[in-house]
Amino acid sequence: MNWTKQHPAWAMFAAMIGLLVFLWGLAIPLSLAPAPIGPAAQQFAEGARVTVLLTLISGTVGVVLGVLAGLGKLSSFRLIRWVCDFYVWLIRGTPLLLQILFVWLAVPQFLPDSMQLSDFSCAAIALALNIGAYNTECVRAGILAVPQGQVEAARALGLSPFQCFMDIVLPQSMRVALPALANNLASLVKDSSLAYAISVVELTMVGYRVQAESYQPIPVFVTVAVIYLILTTAFTTLTAALETQLDVGRKR
Amino acid sequence: MTPDNPKPIIVARNVSKHFGAFRALNDVSATFNEGQVTAIIGPSGSGKSTFLRTLNRLEAHDSGSIQVDGIELNDNLKNLDAIRREVGMVFQSFNLFSHLPILRNVSLAPIRVRKMKREEAEAKSMALLERVGLKDQAHKYPVQLSGGQQQRVAIARALAMDPKVLLFDEPTSALDPEMVNEVLTVMRELAHTGITMLVVTHEMGFAREVADRLIFFDQGSILEDSAPQTFFTNPEHERAKAFLAQVRHGF
Repeated sequence: MNWTKQHPAWAMFAAMIGLLVFLWGLAIPLSLAPAPIGPAAQQFAEGARVTVLLTLISGTVGVVLGVLAGLGKLSSFRLIRWVCDFYVWLIRGTPLLLQILFVWLAVPQFLPDSMQLSDFSCAAIALALNIGAYNTECVRAGILAVPQGQVEAARALGLSPFQCFMDIVLPQSMRVALPALANNLASLVKDSSLAYAISVVELTMVGYRVQAESYQPIPVFVTVAVIYLILTTAFTTLTAALETQLDVGRKR
Repeated sequence: MTPDNPKPIIVARNVSKHFGAFRALNDVSATFNEGQVTAIIGPSGSGKSTFLRTLNRLEAHDSGSIQVDGIELNDNLKNLDAIRREVGMVFQSFNLFSHLPILRNVSLAPIRVRKMKREEAEAKSMALLERVGLKDQAHKYPVQLSGGQQQRVAIARALAMDPKVLLFDEPTSALDPEMVNEVLTVMRELAHTGITMLVVTHEMGFAREVADRLIFFDQGSILEDSAPQTFFTNPEHERAKAFLAQVRHGF
């Protein structure tokens, strides 16, 4: 991790380019592998793309949800606090698989027939809601860690509460919250595999299908595991570099 | 330094403030004129910092009224924003924005609040940093500076908003002794520019030399309000005499 500390901008750049090249070109090396991997190379590559897309979309929405609910938990309005508490309590207290199934099977009953969600959207919504609840506590802890004097200085200079939050509190809270948020993101990469239960063809589902056709679980699941490891490594490099960027000006 | 026709800029009438059962401010009334440099002294817990913090509503007063530059200080956010634009504050613990470089610390408020263009705000901030002797530190982060340097940046940051009034809340109390003077030098220069200053301080030498007026707080009230010379040579109240006897070794 030392390299990412010394060159955070390069590390972020390299991780992002690496991730893109990996997703784009994954099928080429895989297609050279012997059966059962080679013939299914395109499926693996497509599965990895779906996994990354699920992670990125629900991860981004999850951070926004986490910031909103984290702020809401610190609100001076009891109703807002209550709603946010309820959200976190509900999500943390029920299994992710149940949440995914609920969004997929139960939510369509509330929606008009003209407005039905794709399987992928259902998975993305459930995952975003789930990670958002876990992010809430990280963000809340981060906000509480910002010294009161920073807020007083910003307010005394005439910054509005919103400007004060965006310019001072949020960036400083992220320094504290980011390690925990990165942890949640790494979990999300893997938790996205639960979307297989609602027939989203992501990486784990591809592996399951390929081994079901070939009866060779060992090479198939090893390949899937290696792809997951490469993806989580890229994501953690990205977040570690981001952490170093945000860490500027802090006592060490 | 007081002009011939003094124009009041801060008018506090019967201001009271409680923290639970503790009476931090007890019916405090005072008027501060434009260009006046006032030193506010007193034992700790006497309400002097609380009084200063009510003047830009970092603490809300429970009763009484405060007017700054003719604007009533109350829950009306428009009034509050208008007042905070005119009143700068320098804190005991500097409170520089730790995640921003020095230059950004100074230029942030002019850009956000005064809607100044970035280049313009940065040029102005550089000029202010030069004035406090820190031009070459502009691209460092607060943690890389000494306490005295940080406090000088904090003064530049407050000045960047062109305030009419500057509030100093024990600006040298958190500094190592050898850094006190560099901050006092900047403040001394400021005092001669005609800006209105209210300085809560334990620096008796500074109060005596630079201030036009001296206010002594005790138990939430203003006990003495006089010229510094009068106060230091001939205090009226026993409590002020006792306080001076305690701090006299300081000058």
